Amino acid sequence: MSLLDEIVFVVDDDARVREAISELLESLGWQSRTFAVAADYIAAVKPDLPACLILDIELPDINGLEFQKQLSDDVHPPIVFITGHGDIPSSVRAIQGGAVDFLTKPVGEQELVTAVRAAINRDREQRSVRAELAELVRRLDALTPREREVLPLVVSGLLNKQAAAELGISEITLEIHRSKIMHKMQAASFADLVRIAEKLQIPITHSRRSGSLQECTTRNPW
Amino acid sequence: MQIKVDDHKPVEETLRDREWELSQLVDLVPGHLWRLTPDGEPTFFNKRMVGFLGLDVADADRPGVSRLQAVIEAVIHPDDAAEFGETLRCSLVTGKDFSIRYRLRRSDGVYRWMSSRAEPMRDQAGHIVQWYGLCHDIDDQVHAEEALRRSERQLQQLIDAVPALIWCMTPEGIPCYLNKRVSDITGIALEDLIAPDGARSLTVIHPDDRDAIDRALARSIETGEPFVGRYRQCRSDGPHRWVESRAEPLRDEAGNILQWYGVSVDIHDLMTVQQTLRERERELSLLVDMVPSNLWRLTPEGETTLANRHMADFLGMDLEDKQQLSEVFDTIFHPDDVETVWDGLARCLRTGERFSMKYRLRRADGVYRWMSGRAAPLRDESGRIVQWFGLCHDIDDQVHAEEALRRTSDRLAQATRAASLAELSASIAHEVNQPLAAIVANSHACHRWLSADPPNIDRAKITAERITRDANSAADVVGRIRALFRQTPHARLPEDANRLISEVCRFMADETAARRVRIKTNLELGLPSAALDRVQVQQVLVNLIRNGVDAMDTVVGGARELEIQSARHGSDAIRIEVRDEGTGFEDVERVFEPFFTTKQHGMGMGLAICRSIVESHGGRLWTANNETRGATVAFTLPLEASEAP
Repeated sequence: MSLLDEIVFVVDDDARVREAISELLESLGWQSRTFAVAADYIAAVKPDLPACLILDIELPDINGLEFQKQLSDDVHPPIVFITGHGDIPSSVRAIQGGAVDFLTKPVGEQELVTAVRAAINRDREQRSVRAELAELVRRLDALTPREREVLPLVVSGLLNKQAAAELGISEITLEIHRSKIMHKMQAASFADLVRIAEKLQIPITHSRRSGSLQECTTRNPW
Repeated sequence: MQIKVDDHKPVEETLRDREWELSQLVDLVPGHLWRLTPDGEPTFFNKRMVGFLGLDVADADRPGVSRLQAVIEAVIHPDDAAEFGETLRCSLVTGKDFSIRYRLRRSDGVYRWMSSRAEPMRDQAGHIVQWYGLCHDIDDQVHAEEALRRSERQLQQLIDAVPALIWCMTPEGIPCYLNKRVSDITGIALEDLIAPDGARSLTVIHPDDRDAIDRALARSIETGEPFVGRYRQCRSDGPHRWVESRAEPLRDEAGNILQWYGVSVDIHDLMTVQQTLRERERELSLLVDMVPSNLWRLTPEGETTLANRHMADFLGMDLEDKQQLSEVFDTIFHPDDVETVWDGLARCLRTGERFSMKYRLRRADGVYRWMSGRAAPLRDESGRIVQWFGLCHDIDDQVHAEEALRRTSDRLAQATRAASLAELSASIAHEVNQPLAAIVANSHACHRWLSADPPNIDRAKITAERITRDANSAADVVGRIRALFRQTPHARLPEDANRLISEVCRFMADETAARRVRIKTNLELGLPSAALDRVQVQQVLVNLIRNGVDAMDTVVGGARELEIQSARHGSDAIRIEVRDEGTGFEDVERVFEPFFTTKQHGMGMGLAICRSIVESHGGRLWTANNETRGATVAFTLPLEASEAP
């Protein structure tokens, strides 16, 4: 893993700050792209690399926190805020909004490195999660409609007999569907399939123990 | 003959004796006897008469005048002479008895009243032979009668002249006399007071009063106790008038009532005035009770003697309970105000100054409400205070509104101050921070480039140049800020510092009063004027007063008093001192450091700004803790050039 595989975006309206931070990042071995306003950052074509977004809170076109909120709907690199004066409410909002760090200018080298490093690492994780999910979605897409009906029932933990009854098919047929699903989803075990289904957020529609659970709720809890 | 003589002797002797006896009788009888001829010539005066007159019957004789006339002129009072003469002549002519009173001149020249009678003596033929007269001294009697008459006349005059209606009634109560004035003034005659059956009639008394008076009269007549009654009397000439009658009985030696004497006095005007006064009093008392304020009255010693209905209702006080009234002031004031109010009131009672204060009173429901109270003394002609009249009205809503307004305005001011400071600092921070941020980042980068292996000298140079550039830019910002804050000289005009202090005290009065601090000024008279910027020096004073008040905020009890003094300072300056009784300064030196504050909400700029204002005027400002407690902030201001020696 080389630093050159990573990129830092800097959005700050002050050219001197932009320039200096970019210089420091470069001296640390990171490549960087700087933008004077948020709109320029949005418009730019950005390389598909693990990245970090250093965002000034006080931007001329939009407040940094507001910008963070807008970005949250899309995939974006983790944000490190920098500000002239750090007020507590803003920093709280920033961190709650998912920012990695909230730094007060002037920013020391060490804190910048720490923050940027943490941000890029987080981006790496997010990227791999996204990649894995994309693969799983591709596999899910390969299922037939009937297999897609069977999947939620089996991961809910119903017995083959129960699931077959639910769909009005024979237990044998169900078992065939199940083994095809395991194969297509590249699940090493049933437990693996359940994990995959969880990642794909496949809803658990039935519970094998629903009857006894209901019984439980009617019983006196103590 | 002898015998005859002898015989005659006893006869003669007897006659002589009798004549002597008669003559003795005539002379000794205690009266004046006289004799006239039938035509009126006096022929005899007895000895007593001669002695009285000092002349005998012939002694007045004058030629050409009859003896009678001569005697009359000599001894009869000139005023009586004509009547005497005429009466005598009349008797002489008619032969009728003569009787007259007249004044007779005594030998010493004094005239005395005499009563004289004379009767003729006739012969057998019936001719008048002689007139015999007798007169005796009735002078004392006449004078007594005259005195009596005069006295009676005077009494009558008095009775008629006295400006009262005088009347009498019998022991049975039947009116029997009215003086003249009764009929003159009232047109009432005695007949009006007596009924046809002879009983008393009270028709002249107003029907509404008649029964009461009748009963009172009856009681007096029965018991003999004096009668007193007030009633309306009918007048023939107009409406009823109020009259007061009194009567007392006259008793004989045995104690029996002989007569009742009464007097009636017209009291109509008095009654009308009283009536008017009563009505006015009722009106005033109604007014006092109805006026929507609390009214009260104090003795010069401070005891409450009156509270109006409104006040009684407000305080839940029973007006009938005098004890409660006199003690009312002991319980109604808010505990925090009671001392101040008593002090203020005591001072006013002592000095006679008008009282004016705001305080809280406990309402009947136990809620304290703000009141504005005022009182002023009522003085008698000699200027002595007789009473204090006070008024207080509820200003609670107003006070709360004012307080709310002040709080709002305070918050606003605070917010404005905070906002402008925040903005200022944000702006300064931004302006200075940006180049600093760039410098720091560049420095790190520079360090990196130089520490690299091999060192990247070119990039290091570039970053070093940027550092210089940004540092200069930061310095520029600082310079600009300094320029922004540089004080522009204001117009300095000669001002009377005392007036300025008074002005400031006036517009701080509400604020200090609200925090229960009293400002006492002790200003040197005839202080020379100093050249100063009013607004700035006002700011200094306001600031110092607020500081003082703040410092006393936590002080419990004691007189929270702030003293402002002015005095000359040396030959070329004046000195103003603000002395509080607060907590004092912990560190007298540090108080001028900007942003140094002991207050929870202060900015710590106050004294620093004050000092810089005073110093810009060429004066000095310093602080010291007082010996007992509290602190004093003092500053000097140089005199105006023309005032300096």
